[in-house]
Amino acid sequence: MIYRVRHVTRYDYQTPVNLGAHLAHLRPRALPHQRVLRAGVHAAPAVSWRRDGSDHFGNDVTWLFLDVAHAAFQVIADAVVDVTFPAPPDPAATPPWETVAGDAWAAGGAAWQAAEFLFDSPRAPANGDAKAYAAASFPPGRPVLAALLDLNARIRRDFTFRSGVTTTSTPIAEVLRRREGVCQDFTHLMISVLRSFGLPARYVSGYIRTRPSHGKTQRLGADQSHAWVGAWLGPEHGWLDLDPTNGIVVQDEHVVLGWGRDFGDVTPLRGVILGGGEQVLSVEVELEEAEA
Amino acid sequence: MARDEMVDGKGGLRPQWRNLLGVLAGLGHGVLAERAKRLDRVMEEEGVASLLPGSPPDPWRFDPIPLPLSQWEFSKLEAGLTQRAQLLEAILADLYGPQRLLAEGALPAPLVYANPAFLRPCRRASGEAPNDLLQFYAADLMRAPDGNWHVLADRTGLADGLAHALQNRRRLGRVLPELFGSQLLCHIEPFVEICLDMIQRISPADSGDTGRSALLTPGHQDPAWYGHVLLARELSCALVEGGDLTVRDGGLFLKTLRGLQRIGVLLRGTDGGSVDPLELEPDGVGVAGLLAAARDHVRIVNNPGSGLAEAPALAAFLPELARRLLREDLALPSVPTEWLGHETAREKVMRNPNDWRLRPAFESALPPATLSAMAETNRRAMLDRVAAAPWRFAASAVLEPSVAPCLDGDKMVPRPVLVRMFLVRDRTGWRAMPGGLGCVLQDEVPAWPSAGQVLAKDVWVLAENPAAIEGPAANRTGTLAIRRTAGDMPSRVADNFFWLGRYLERLEAAARLLMIAIGRVSRPAPTPHEMAELEVLIDCLTQAGLLNAEAITGLGTAALGHALLKAAGSWGAIHAMLGRVSHMTGLLRDQVTGEMHAVTARGLREVEYALGRIDNRRDGQALDATAQAMSRVLAFSATLSGLAAENMVRGGGRLFLDLGRRVERAQAVADQIACTLEFPGVAQQPARIEHGLRLALELCDSSITYRSRYLAVLQPAPALDLLLADDGNPRGLAFQLVAMRALLSEIASGGDNALATAAAALQDEPQAMVRSISDAADQSVAALFLPARLRALRDAVAELSDRVSRRYFALLPTARTVGIDAPSRPLRGAA
Repeated sequence: MIYRVRHVTRYDYQTPVNLGAHLAHLRPRALPHQRVLRAGVHAAPAVSWRRDGSDHFGNDVTWLFLDVAHAAFQVIADAVVDVTFPAPPDPAATPPWETVAGDAWAAGGAAWQAAEFLFDSPRAPANGDAKAYAAASFPPGRPVLAALLDLNARIRRDFTFRSGVTTTSTPIAEVLRRREGVCQDFTHLMISVLRSFGLPARYVSGYIRTRPSHGKTQRLGADQSHAWVGAWLGPEHGWLDLDPTNGIVVQDEHVVLGWGRDFGDVTPLRGVILGGGEQVLSVEVELEEAEA
Repeated sequence: MARDEMVDGKGGLRPQWRNLLGVLAGLGHGVLAERAKRLDRVMEEEGVASLLPGSPPDPWRFDPIPLPLSQWEFSKLEAGLTQRAQLLEAILADLYGPQRLLAEGALPAPLVYANPAFLRPCRRASGEAPNDLLQFYAADLMRAPDGNWHVLADRTGLADGLAHALQNRRRLGRVLPELFGSQLLCHIEPFVEICLDMIQRISPADSGDTGRSALLTPGHQDPAWYGHVLLARELSCALVEGGDLTVRDGGLFLKTLRGLQRIGVLLRGTDGGSVDPLELEPDGVGVAGLLAAARDHVRIVNNPGSGLAEAPALAAFLPELARRLLREDLALPSVPTEWLGHETAREKVMRNPNDWRLRPAFESALPPATLSAMAETNRRAMLDRVAAAPWRFAASAVLEPSVAPCLDGDKMVPRPVLVRMFLVRDRTGWRAMPGGLGCVLQDEVPAWPSAGQVLAKDVWVLAENPAAIEGPAANRTGTLAIRRTAGDMPSRVADNFFWLGRYLERLEAAARLLMIAIGRVSRPAPTPHEMAELEVLIDCLTQAGLLNAEAITGLGTAALGHALLKAAGSWGAIHAMLGRVSHMTGLLRDQVTGEMHAVTARGLREVEYALGRIDNRRDGQALDATAQAMSRVLAFSATLSGLAAENMVRGGGRLFLDLGRRVERAQAVADQIACTLEFPGVAQQPARIEHGLRLALELCDSSITYRSRYLAVLQPAPALDLLLADDGNPRGLAFQLVAMRALLSEIASGGDNALATAAAALQDEPQAMVRSISDAADQSVAALFLPARLRALRDAVAELSDRVSRRYFALLPTARTVGIDAPSRPLRGAA
């Protein structure tokens, strides 16, 4: 499936900003199942210094520096990607979750990089209540993918997708109490839980097609950035992406930007500005099917 | 049984102590204790502690008895520490590069991935091993009962304590010179040269001739600040805070009076995680974009990610890693350490818990905890925490550090000691400073105190062959490159000098005013004319913030006297002004000479003492004590001005100090003369202006000059000429304006001269005012029109001062993070 993505982020400042330094995770990373046909990041006003590179996780990163006074700052990310996620393995054929946890902890062989995603991170710390909520999905000996699918579906069922009730810094405990939030909250919640059970879990940042093509279900995600969970199924099956907001396994409706331990590692656009006063942020994402 | 550094347990002295002990014994009774007191006093005057009494004590104290090491022993330590530095560097290069140690299982993943000191933005995405991770390395060492040295903690920060070690050696040389006559000692100064050479060498080529080095400090509230001040001075680099810096076009720049100045090497006096709010901690003290700049155009020393090597748990793996990475055995062991993430290690430790001390696996600043010394409930809680996440903990073996003689009163007592040694990378490898910083332990847990007082010792390396004394460093480093020292002052420093000038002047003016007022209230029965003078003085005192006018109006001289005592006493307005002067002097500690600082410190203490004598005295005596205290303040201010004139290079700092004084005095003089010209009753009886003029002359300390020119005849034009228009009178108005113009044009030094031009424009007004008086038919009546003009001039000076601030000081405004953690903004989807 080929998608064209256009992601516009715009800051309007009350008073001019004299200096701005921004870090963008806005170019989709190339993956075996995701071919990047085109990816560009354009800023207005023109930046005084720019650098393109990649980060520790292998994501593509762009640094943008402005040193002329500006009242608004806009970044347009434009990309065309071809995604073909492989079908998930048969859940019954995956190893018991305890075995996966053991492999991850031993961190030997193929598991050494997965071990990075075992530990608390600033936005996905361990939480006793969250672990208790999830425990029903992890009876002893259950195949890991069966447990994951069960948890993924429960979060979809038990939590309400609602914009505006949480922010980028709402803690997991509060999301759990309110039983509502957005994709980012559900993703952090699920990551925290998986790590509590010793399973490596990462935060995947990207986009989802919300307008259904013929005969498909409408997906939640509000035409904005999207986030979901990457879970590790052991050395044989590797990583699999699950979208708890929609209760599905990621297949052909998602586009990956990059991943990290949590939102903080792959924030689409973050920056430090001097001056500016009050600011208004607007974000628009368009994702549509494209011809090859 | 702890090992004794001095005696060998068989009744003999160890050879390295022989000469030293001979000298100490020969000093005579009580001499050592007396010298120790002098050492304390020297430290006080050097301003390690804050200047005002009652502020917290200095974190450093020094024991006068050195700890000598033989050269043979030092060489062994240097070799061992060099190997450790190489090993840690190789480990860091791997972890911030290909991470083979993790892939091959040589190092457990949690030690890296769960460690907050592993800074992911410092890792090369390409997996290519970086080669610029360590330039400084330090280690805390202890000697075990068997005589072998062990490393307690590896340090990759900014050689914390190095400057103190250098300072202490010099102080000891001054206070106890006898000690140094007894033997040949390795010099530690050449080590500084090697550090300077390193900075020069690693400076990126493209930062060019103008590229400078700077030391980034979290600021004066940080406990390590004074160490940063000293080190910046030793290494001739600018001491800067995050707000002084900016990243432009991929380079790092310092905001100075002359504009942006390129920085090539940044010495990091902060945590690695706080240097760049864009990529690391959003609330860090550093500068946004620093890491991006550091990828090409700036060297940060040590690399922000290097803190990873300080993890206490790493010690458990060093012997194996040394064999793997260096193909050598680890020469200088750590205190035996186990990482509790391994089950076998856990079992080993739990089998004999009293043989171990528990410590966080990643946090080197926290001291280890001895299980056997804990109360049962704490012990249980601790063990539960370990059981819940054993990989967060390490255990180090209980090992008793050696003891060395320390001075206690007038006796020498053996106390446990640690030694910190410092290494720097030179052109060929690692070099250790032949000396170090000892630390006398206050309790049984061997760990460098992270808070509270450190009782430090000078560590000596005895020179056994004369070649060592010549300074091997100088030979090995070859010709030193020419250094360009910090000629251009950071704006923040200029700002501090300017305000020190203003506060000093304000203090002096306040003291002068109080003296004059007190002289009047202490007279038994004031005449109506004296009462009128008091009225004017109350106006002046109110303007100066020394009195609350409403509270005084209509009350007698007794109440006024009371209010004056309050303003002068311990918690009054004078005290507050003194506090501001002291604060500014503290902030400028890195900018003034030791002598100047010592005089300031002593002066401030004396004044403070004199102010304290005002309280709790009966009225008459208290007024007398106040007069004495105020004359102390005046003497203090005069001394400081004199010192500045004689001692300070006529560079940026001195100019701004002077400018601050002139700006302040010009405003005060204009204000006070305006008040005196409004002498009670002048509107009805213009001749009464004579009383006002007399008071004005007194306030401006110009009575004697007037009398020598005009004898006893007091007339408006000659008096006002002396006070307002005579630019030779340093207490008059014209003098300040002329000086302001000269200073501003010197500061601009050929550049944009607009401010000097603006100051020059102000100079004409006092002349015009005096002319309007002397040309008038009735001078007294004409003088009635001056107060308004004087106040307008005062406002013009204030405006000029604002322009100076905007032009030279306007610091970069506080940076803010956007895109993450904006709680006020509701999230739509995930922005």
